[in-house]
Amino acid sequence: MSAQKITIEFNDKVVRQFLLATLIWGIVGMLVGVLVASQLNFWQANFNTEWLSFGRLRPLHTNAVIFAFVGNMMFAGIYYSTQRLVKARLASDFLSALHFWGWQAIIVAAAITLPLGLTRGKEYAELIWPINIAVALIWVVFGVNFFWTLARRREPSLYVAIWFYIATIITVAMLYIVNHLSLPTSFTHSYPIFGGVQDALVQWWYGHNAVAFFLTTPILGIMYYFIPKAAERPVYSYRLSVIHFWSLVFLYIWAGPHHLLNTSLPDWLQTLGMTFSLMLWAPSWGGMLNGLLTLRGAWHKLRTDPVLKFMAAAVTFYGMATFEGPLLSIKAVNALGHYTDWIIGHVHAGALGWNGFMAAGMIYWLLPRLWNKPLHSVGLANVHFWLGTVGILLYVAAMWVSGITQGLMLNATTDNGTVLAYPNFLDTLNSIRPLMLMRVIGGSLYLVGFLILGYNMWMTLRGAAPVNGSIEVFADEEEHAPAGARMGVLATLFNPPVLFSVLAFGFSCVWMFGNDAISVAGLAGTIICTVAAIAHFESRGKSWADWYERLLVNAAPFTILTFISVAVGGLIQIIPTVVVQKAANIEDRLQLRYTPLELAGRDMYVREGCYTCHSQMIRTLVPDVLRYGAYSRLGESIYDHPYQWGSKRNGPDLARVGGKYPNVWHLRHMEDPRALSQGSNMPSYAQMLKSDLDISTLPTKIAVQRTLGVPYPAWTADEIKRNVAEQSALIAADLKTAGAYVAPEKEIIAMIAYLQVLGKSEPVNKPGVPAQ
Amino acid sequence: MFRRLILDNSAAIFTFVAFVTAASIYVACTWRALRMKRAQVERFENLPFETATPPARHEITSA
Repeated sequence: MSAQKITIEFNDKVVRQFLLATLIWGIVGMLVGVLVASQLNFWQANFNTEWLSFGRLRPLHTNAVIFAFVGNMMFAGIYYSTQRLVKARLASDFLSALHFWGWQAIIVAAAITLPLGLTRGKEYAELIWPINIAVALIWVVFGVNFFWTLARRREPSLYVAIWFYIATIITVAMLYIVNHLSLPTSFTHSYPIFGGVQDALVQWWYGHNAVAFFLTTPILGIMYYFIPKAAERPVYSYRLSVIHFWSLVFLYIWAGPHHLLNTSLPDWLQTLGMTFSLMLWAPSWGGMLNGLLTLRGAWHKLRTDPVLKFMAAAVTFYGMATFEGPLLSIKAVNALGHYTDWIIGHVHAGALGWNGFMAAGMIYWLLPRLWNKPLHSVGLANVHFWLGTVGILLYVAAMWVSGITQGLMLNATTDNGTVLAYPNFLDTLNSIRPLMLMRVIGGSLYLVGFLILGYNMWMTLRGAAPVNGSIEVFADEEEHAPAGARMGVLATLFNPPVLFSVLAFGFSCVWMFGNDAISVAGLAGTIICTVAAIAHFESRGKSWADWYERLLVNAAPFTILTFISVAVGGLIQIIPTVVVQKAANIEDRLQLRYTPLELAGRDMYVREGCYTCHSQMIRTLVPDVLRYGAYSRLGESIYDHPYQWGSKRNGPDLARVGGKYPNVWHLRHMEDPRALSQGSNMPSYAQMLKSDLDISTLPTKIAVQRTLGVPYPAWTADEIKRNVAEQSALIAADLKTAGAYVAPEKEIIAMIAYLQVLGKSEPVNKPGVPAQ
Repeated sequence: MFRRLILDNSAAIFTFVAFVTAASIYVACTWRALRMKRAQVERFENLPFETATPPARHEITSA
């Protein structure tokens, strides 16, 4: 090797850009969060304006915090640490710039479309299809830039942070693409290709793993880089970080169904989701302890260093949130906590404590280094820390108490469990109002903390000159893995560890899913494979070890195997569900397909984000059945694209609201909820009485629904129009009889039509299956 | 192929398979981690320090 050295200057410009965007979008996201929290307590905060209503702003809040705040923070941290860990400048300045500006354009597009009611109606996946495509493309740009940089690296070994980044990039791409598969009906609207239970499963496979692979794994990578740097000592146990990575990446992907416990999701999926969630305790806490123990011998620094304060608190909140997650995944606990504020508290312990504090710690660490100027005020950073900590504790404690109160009241029964103790849903809502106010205060304190960070950043940056980091390397240093350790695709896949694992897994799937003799053959194959693998490992263990060692310095094979490990869990859950759980196989009850008018009403229901407050899923729990009627059958939402089971009950479940009230009740309730439900916090939807229903897109929408398998006849546009007119006239006439005049072409008519059909189904009588 | 998923109440098998799968992953990665040589571990854990980072000046003054 030549002794001649060259200096590589890192691309820190893009890091600075992402850092500034983190703060700006973070404040926007938190501001909207405080507003929507206020709206739940003070309905007037909806300002009687449709684009400021809770149902439209809540998705804006979640998307802003996840994709804008944490997304930008993640990109800053990944780009900063990766360049230094692999001793190479980012591969392409153009791709870096395209990544940054493309991502900001997506955020702006989301901020415009969501308040306009342009949504796909699935949590954290609300953005419309053109934006989905933009997200996928920009993510590919990010991936190409990242892996190209790895290909040009001068450090052959891949530090564990890089492993977490690789898992993030490939898994998010897989999740995002599958959950956003849709058929467009116009430039701003589409229907997801999955419906009913399939959509629910895919959605929470995505939703849960968005938490895992967007909010957790990249931040863990950032933790493994920045905590050692800030504490000036290596990670406590590198061995533990290896265990942490593989077990987390493999197990997390299976846990999605825990969001659908006690619902009509098939029992085997609920069991898998719960069991894998419980086993996530081990890797999560292993990672948390590894992060905290890295501070061994440096605890005294926490007194003076705000960076370490934020990071130590962040890791502690990670531990709290990852303890609570598996706990809530236990079916019995979930029966109490699901649909309540407990989940909101859990989510915010993670988002504010883990993500927000890691972001703050990273920003305070990077600011002086990226602009070569001391932080304006360490004191203000400490004020930020304490405001944020008190804010989180107020928020989370309020939501815990609120959620458990809600759960206990909604599930409480008297007369030997036959009568609800609190039959009026509003009793629970009005009991938790003080706690909801406490949440607003906690959230506001947290927001003020970030405003202080903004001021501190502004004062630090004034007059400061940006500076790029650099490193000296030998001119002819290899830019990738040493020749002897290189591994091609064939060597990656065709080797004993991979082949034995794949075979054993395949046989165990046959065992689990196969019938009779096939199942027995699967069990035999699993046992034979396991025994053969152990025997082979005993005699040729070195080849297994060599393969693993080479994997650690080969980015592409490492990526392929990580992809396989995350894809397996999803495939095993999704493929059987897609194959089996469809209308043709439904027993018991089958949903009636919507009339064109009801479909139009349903699209409005999705547009207004009603699912953010109302579930359409009566769980297999006695209090749910007593309150809302017979538990929801799987077939009763089989044609729903998208499904609308919901995840939170700020209002009652609507699965069987059809026929419960007369048309005029719905009219008055939508116009002024408090006129009929004293103390309700629901926004008014009086504008639906004024706006005309747009039915021009219905023929296309129905054609798409037909393509998706919903049994609509091949109606012409005129037939659809006539169908809408006839049903609208009937509802308008009924309203007139009840003393309310509304023109049949108004939106409210379609909404009433939809609400009145909820819960309507037809019995399915199949030979050998008892009718219910 | 998947008929059992509809007809059988086979929750127990899935709990068992989930546990065995997770346990296999734990054992395998723990085994690999424990087999790492001390020198290799030290090399990996010091990677973040191979690229020098300038101290933030407020840290110098406050130390």
